[in-house]
Amino acid sequence: MFKRRLQALEYEEYDKVDANDLQHVKKLVSWLENQKIRHYKIDDRGAILDIESQQWPATYEKYLEDVGCPQFETPLDKVEWLVGLAIRLEYEDNLQSEDFKKGVSELAKLLNIPQHPNHLITLEACSKFICKRLNEEAVKNPGSVIVTGQPFPIMDTNAGFKIKDPFLNKAVTILSLLYIQDLRDLQTKINEAIVSVQTITANPKTDHKLGKVGK
Amino acid sequence: MVVRTFEEEMGYLEKTSEYSWRIKKGFQPNMKVEGVFYVNKNLERLLIEELRNSARPGSVGGFLPGVKQIANVAALPGIVGKSVGLPDIHSGYGFAIGNMAAFDVSDPKAVVSPGGVGFDINCGVRLLRTNLFEKDVQPVKDQLAQSMFDHIPVGVGSRGIIPMTARDLEEALEMGMDWSLREGYVWAEDKEHCEEYGRMLDADPSKVSMKAKKRGLPQLGTLGAGNHYAEIQVVDEIFNKSAASKMGIEAKGQVCIMIHSGSRGFGHQVATDALLAMEKAMKKHNIEVNDRQLACAPINQSEGQDYLKSMAAAANFAWVNRSSMTFLSRQAFAKQFNMSPDDLDMHVIYDVSHNVAKVEQHMVDGRPKTLLVHRKGSTRAFPPHHPSIPVDYQLTGQPVLIGGTMGTCSYVLTGTEVGMNETFGSTCHGAGRSLSRAKSRRNLDYQGVLDKMKEMGIAIRIASPKLVMEEAPESYKNVDDVVNTCDAVGISKKCIKLRPIAVIKG
Repeated sequence: MFKRRLQALEYEEYDKVDANDLQHVKKLVSWLENQKIRHYKIDDRGAILDIESQQWPATYEKYLEDVGCPQFETPLDKVEWLVGLAIRLEYEDNLQSEDFKKGVSELAKLLNIPQHPNHLITLEACSKFICKRLNEEAVKNPGSVIVTGQPFPIMDTNAGFKIKDPFLNKAVTILSLLYIQDLRDLQTKINEAIVSVQTITANPKTDHKLGKVGK
Repeated sequence: MVVRTFEEEMGYLEKTSEYSWRIKKGFQPNMKVEGVFYVNKNLERLLIEELRNSARPGSVGGFLPGVKQIANVAALPGIVGKSVGLPDIHSGYGFAIGNMAAFDVSDPKAVVSPGGVGFDINCGVRLLRTNLFEKDVQPVKDQLAQSMFDHIPVGVGSRGIIPMTARDLEEALEMGMDWSLREGYVWAEDKEHCEEYGRMLDADPSKVSMKAKKRGLPQLGTLGAGNHYAEIQVVDEIFNKSAASKMGIEAKGQVCIMIHSGSRGFGHQVATDALLAMEKAMKKHNIEVNDRQLACAPINQSEGQDYLKSMAAAANFAWVNRSSMTFLSRQAFAKQFNMSPDDLDMHVIYDVSHNVAKVEQHMVDGRPKTLLVHRKGSTRAFPPHHPSIPVDYQLTGQPVLIGGTMGTCSYVLTGTEVGMNETFGSTCHGAGRSLSRAKSRRNLDYQGVLDKMKEMGIAIRIASPKLVMEEAPESYKNVDDVVNTCDAVGISKKCIKLRPIAVIKG
């Protein structure tokens, strides 16, 4: 559920939290507010930190409203949302930190992905790569995603127009090849759509009795 | 009309390079643009000879010589650029076969002429590949030819074996290959690898006469007669390895199936009906032309539009026809080899039309223009990266299928930028006749032609005996000359050469 997110937040008992146990919730929520969310000023946090109080459930509801949590039915949904908020607050701060940039750069190096000056774009590329190539199915059956075939001298292709600057020309060639790949994907989807319609409409017939050759 | 001697006529023709000739204004009256034609030495001799014969005093009858016809087309209202003669040019009804001409759609005077499309509307060539090789097919060549012959009805008056009702026909005329897809006769990928995706969207079956529909209905899914054929071919030579590989052709000896057919009696009737309507339209709109056979009507008037809509219906008919024969060929192969067509990798490489008029965008004097491009006996040949060609051929250029004649080789060419600039993206379509049908019958011997086929190792099934002589290689120009000229001029480039091992003909 949120084990990994709690771990990322460095919550000590990250793997033991049970959202249906009020004691666990009390402990977690007070910790989140005190350490991560910090929605109230320190002086105003008394009530939410007082986990022994009989009033705590009411305080909790008020707190949820104050931080803008939508109306959820189950205690689990509420806690999940709070953890999500904490993650967002924690990492929004950190997204621009040198540490984070270094991390992205290392991840990209590990995955062999060229780096964009904007590390967030590099991160996006890494995420795309992981989702596409390192998902469960792909890891089980690498043949399904690894492209096989003849190497193709892409730089010898003609982009359709010539630009004097050799670097620009290279870029244009790559762009035009990517465009063709997009088109291919589109055409494949069109074909799949046609085939699925054919399963309903198709009924080819031949009747050799009708045939007549020549006069 | 002025009568000039042959020498005087030649004064209007100028050889501008090794392979091209210019036809100057004045060669025929009222020429709005110049003419051009592309020939090598052999083809040049044939064309000039034809002109010399017609310039002889007292010669009458028959069609005008090809060069004269190019010039007459150059005199039609609204023509832009040049009237272009391709290397396989020979005289035909009004327009020579192998003539392309483009008309400016925005010019209210510009015309469409059924003679510029021809009677066999959307006559064209389709090429299927297989993963078989010559050694797999040679031992069963005769059985395979017989099986194809049994599946695909051929000859004048033949009837198709795919049941069709009048309602089916109406739908097929409107939908073209989409009809074949819907009914399950062809594969989704077939549509992708077909000029216009196998369907002209402005087709309107209500513009087609009852007579045409009656002629067309029983003929759907038949090959027809004349120069039409289905051939089993093997790859003889690969000129461009990477382009061939994009088409799924990997090595010499690979087996392909070529289907050359059109819109049968249906297209013929559509053209005949249109010619009658256009003769009236010419009087109404005061159009004067050099040759009665060049009957035409303004593109933007009802007569022109009606023709284009019925022509599109005929084009759709032809695509359904070739699709039906694709289905039947796949069945024939599947039965023979006891494998599914899928496992035999029987994909359509491409399907081209070489008798059609289409609205296209071209650059004229450095500006984009919308043109109605007539191609009669001429194949579209668009360059790499053109939006109208399939994604698989974006880097190679459009495959151009050139059907040879009985017993001679066929070619796959690819479209080029040069062709786009010089000939509105057009190239040749085949060998082109050199002898008339009557002359072939007089000069050639039935058994002699058949023996020669046998000698070359070609299995042959033919429905009507006289076609043996009429369609013999000797009756045609040398397809190698034609293709090599196109390659040398650069309006298309050679990619694959195919050699027949079995022929099925009307």
